[in-house]
Amino acid sequence: MTFQILFAASAGHIYLGNTIWYLIVFAILLILVKHYAWGPVSDMMEKRRQKVINDLDSAADNRKKAEVLANEREAALKNSRQEATQILSDAKANAEKTSTQIVAEANDNAASIHEKAKADAAQAKADALNEARAQVADISVTIAEKVIAKNLSADDQKDLVDQFIKGLNK
Amino acid sequence: MEQSFVFKFLGLTFDLSGIIGSTLMAAVVLFVCIWLSRKVEMKPNKKQNIMEYLIDFTDGIVKDNVSDVDARKHLSLYAFVLFIYIWFMNQLGLFLEVKAGDNIFVKSPTADPVTTMSFAMMTLLLSFTFGMQKFGTGSYWRNYAEPVSFLFPINMIEEITNFLTLSLRLYGNIYAGEVLLTLIGNSFAPSFGVITLVLAAPLAMIWQGFSVFIGSIQAYVFVTLSMVYVGKKVTKE
Repeated sequence: MTFQILFAASAGHIYLGNTIWYLIVFAILLILVKHYAWGPVSDMMEKRRQKVINDLDSAADNRKKAEVLANEREAALKNSRQEATQILSDAKANAEKTSTQIVAEANDNAASIHEKAKADAAQAKADALNEARAQVADISVTIAEKVIAKNLSADDQKDLVDQFIKGLNK
Repeated sequence: MEQSFVFKFLGLTFDLSGIIGSTLMAAVVLFVCIWLSRKVEMKPNKKQNIMEYLIDFTDGIVKDNVSDVDARKHLSLYAFVLFIYIWFMNQLGLFLEVKAGDNIFVKSPTADPVTTMSFAMMTLLLSFTFGMQKFGTGSYWRNYAEPVSFLFPINMIEEITNFLTLSLRLYGNIYAGEVLLTLIGNSFAPSFGVITLVLAAPLAMIWQGFSVFIGSIQAYVFVTLSMVYVGKKVTKE
């Protein structure tokens, strides 16, 4: 009785043929759907999943790399700033040193030139004096010779002087 | 009472309406699936999105009920095809009923206990196979005597009730839907002339909409319970 109620829709028939048919149809459907639809789509889903994973990984990598680069750049910038200051101060020091050196040299030069000039002047003066002294001595000697050579009258004296002067003019 | 056309072939009895319905719906499922995945791209188009949503949906059912990762991979396709196929078979009888004389040729194949029992049997055989593959035949049968040996007959009965509830729930829901639809169309509509005829149209429409809902829910329940049974077989309690 229950059995009949159970299979009311089948009108009392139990068709095993249908069961086999359903199984065959379902198996064929499974294979075809897998081959033409489910397979490619789920493959693509898996590929996309992998791609997203890769992209995320590489993005994280890139971010890390960029961070390292930024740090490096900052350090380099700081370094270069320091270097620039160093160079500037070095140059300043150098320039100061050179300028003082130049001034000192110039002073030295000037002093030595001054000294030399002084020495030259003194030499020239001494030379002139010596020469004059020698000439005066010569003149005196000559005059003395002349005086000694003749006992001279005033006229003679005058002549002598004139002669001497003439001799001077010669 | 309508009867379907029954014929014998190779000593087996065949019911024509079930064969026509199931084959037709298999073709529709195949066509729809292929149409939805014509161009498969990395950046999905609209059709591919629908297909991927469906796959995600059935994969979700599998993932929720089967904890074994290896079994999940094999069950994903099964759950997907089973869900779509049963869904289409549930909807077939709602809009199409072909009758010729006393014989009915096209109706929902799932409004027939033989069909639902076929699918339930397929699922349970699949669960046996998975269980035996996982634990080996010997320890698989010993699992029935767990946790205590006198529970063996009760566990065996549970298998039979699983089979009956899985198949008859689907059958009952779809069959009842079709019976009520037939009643509205054949008995209620012509009972009081024009008034009932006018009333029958929205009533049938409401019931059809509700049946679409029931058909979807039942397809979901069928696949979910299938996965629950398979999942139970591949996990050690």
